[in-house]
Amino acid sequence: MNIEATKKKKIKIDSAPKKKRRIASLDKRKARVGWLFVLPFVIGLVIIYLPIIYNSIMFSFHEINPLQGGGYELVPVGFKNYSEALFVDPSYVTELTSGIRELIFDIPAIIIFALFVAILLNQEMVGRTLFRAIFFIPVIIATGLISDIDAQNILSSYMGGTGASIDTGTGRNTVAEIVSVMDVEMLFANMRVGSDLVEYVVTMVNNIFNIVNRSGVQMLIFLAGLQSISPSIYESCKIDGATGWETFWKITFPMISPMILVNAIYTIIDALTRSDNNVMAYIDQVYDSGADGNVVSSAMAWMYFLIVALLIVVVSGIISAYVFYQRREE
Amino acid sequence: MDANRIQSTPIIKKETKNKIRVEFEGRTSAWERFKLKVFSVSFLKDVVWYIFRLILLIGISYVIIYPFISKVASSFMSREDFVDATVLLIAKHPTLETYKAVIVDNEYFRAMLNTFVLSASTAIIQTFITCLIGYGFAKFKFKGRKLLFMFVVLTMIVPHSTVRLSMFMKFRYFDILGIFNFLGGGVFESIDILKFTDISLINSFMPFYILSATGLAFKNGLYIFMLRQFFRGVPDELEESAYIDGSGPFRTFVQIILPLSVPMLITVFMFAFSWQWTDNYYTRVFFTHQGPYTLRAFIKIPRSLDTEYPGQNMYVAAIRNTCGILIMLPLILIYAFLQRYLVQGIERSGIIG
Repeated sequence: MNIEATKKKKIKIDSAPKKKRRIASLDKRKARVGWLFVLPFVIGLVIIYLPIIYNSIMFSFHEINPLQGGGYELVPVGFKNYSEALFVDPSYVTELTSGIRELIFDIPAIIIFALFVAILLNQEMVGRTLFRAIFFIPVIIATGLISDIDAQNILSSYMGGTGASIDTGTGRNTVAEIVSVMDVEMLFANMRVGSDLVEYVVTMVNNIFNIVNRSGVQMLIFLAGLQSISPSIYESCKIDGATGWETFWKITFPMISPMILVNAIYTIIDALTRSDNNVMAYIDQVYDSGADGNVVSSAMAWMYFLIVALLIVVVSGIISAYVFYQRREE
Repeated sequence: MDANRIQSTPIIKKETKNKIRVEFEGRTSAWERFKLKVFSVSFLKDVVWYIFRLILLIGISYVIIYPFISKVASSFMSREDFVDATVLLIAKHPTLETYKAVIVDNEYFRAMLNTFVLSASTAIIQTFITCLIGYGFAKFKFKGRKLLFMFVVLTMIVPHSTVRLSMFMKFRYFDILGIFNFLGGGVFESIDILKFTDISLINSFMPFYILSATGLAFKNGLYIFMLRQFFRGVPDELEESAYIDGSGPFRTFVQIILPLSVPMLITVFMFAFSWQWTDNYYTRVFFTHQGPYTLRAFIKIPRSLDTEYPGQNMYVAAIRNTCGILIMLPLILIYAFLQRYLVQGIERSGIIG
């Protein structure tokens, strides 16, 4: 009896920790499977991405000499490439400042336009599918090569203008403006709106093609956000007698505000990778001027990236102060 | 009286299999109802808003479509039309010569085939790999997950043009953590087959495949982000029940998760395919003049067309636009078939912050 009881006890003692270990190992196994799923990215990160980033930063502090037998040799030169980019190169600084200013002006324009169109496309109406299909064409098509062709395209501006203004010789001076700055300024002269604001709005309107082309993905993100707002909120609003204007500012805008943050960041990143980005085009030009690539271009690119990263931090800091999160944790 | 009216039985006017039309006795007349509905402020407001919205949407659609119209119009123009001031959109001497010259001289079909093979294969690899990675991030809790995801965001934020030089160097002198160099240079120096010191992957598709297979290619960070958001929305119970039935995580992934995420996969595939199709950054970095003939090299002035005349600027622009049309054509066809999945996929992903 006694022996049997102790045996039972022993079994109990044995089995208890075993069970625990098994649960732990299941968790571990799941974690290991998780690592397996993300393994491709880990491998890429370790053998390709991090070395590339490290190399690129290193290159910007070195000079490169290709060796005869293969491989290359690096000669450390400190901050020489950076100072060359900033003080020796004739147009890097001007390109950089104008590029950054353009970017800062473009962000609100693109976001406001994308939000506006997303709200329009979210409403029930005839031909909604058709309009959606048209509005997302630029996302798929107006990238890379095509936007390269468009950037140098003088033809569409000809055809937009009147036939009389065609100048067959040089051809670049007849770019048709949709709105002339002078007209609008005269209109707003008595309204005490700053002339800077007027000019900003006018450039925005004249830039509409550019803005439409660049806001495709942002529209998609906003549209997804609008779809995720529960219709019952709108319904209760309507019952309480809120007007459309109030509903927008009290419901739609706060609910969509996380998407504004995402879109602002996406717009900045997208502007970096676009081919009509003048700063990047200039850096590419510098890169191509060397035989096997010019290291100064690395220094330029990193400086540009640092400034833009700073911009991302500032913009996301400002916007996230106003962002409303429906659910506090995920 | 009112109570009476409600109680009176409705008269059946028309009855079909699944529809009934009834008329109540003493109901307000049709004209009266119509008047009440139409001559009210709210209805007027609705109509005005409806028309305003329609005009606005058509206007913006016009802005988007106009460049395509002008491209198509100019591609049919002959040389004389560009110096003729009276020709705006419709050619006086329509010709197919530009198309013929571009297709024959610039070898359109060779460029398209090469680009198609490259885009389709990389898009398939990217869709599958980013799907795996996104699923891993969404459904498994492992140590270092947050840090790793920060790296994904980093790959999204650092544009590849920033690291262009070292990216080129990486694949020009390809090496994995210095192992090849160490083996080839030191240990196996005398054996020719194992001499790996100068592996150049430039001018081959390998750099694209390597980047795609590791989720580092163009905008792959965005795809991973989108797919992660999507998989988070898939209820855990689905997988749990599969696990209980004895299916492993990979089998669950392939047999249960993949089939229900088809719209999302098509969206990612479409992005990956079309962005690789029109890519001019990676093809420029990895392909030199001796490289595969792709659509990037295809945009040039064909030899058989003489552009030396007063209308040169516009004629050259028109030829380049014709190349552009030929590049876009396959994409537009694909988009026409797949566009309904685009919105559907994005809507389901529910991207939130």
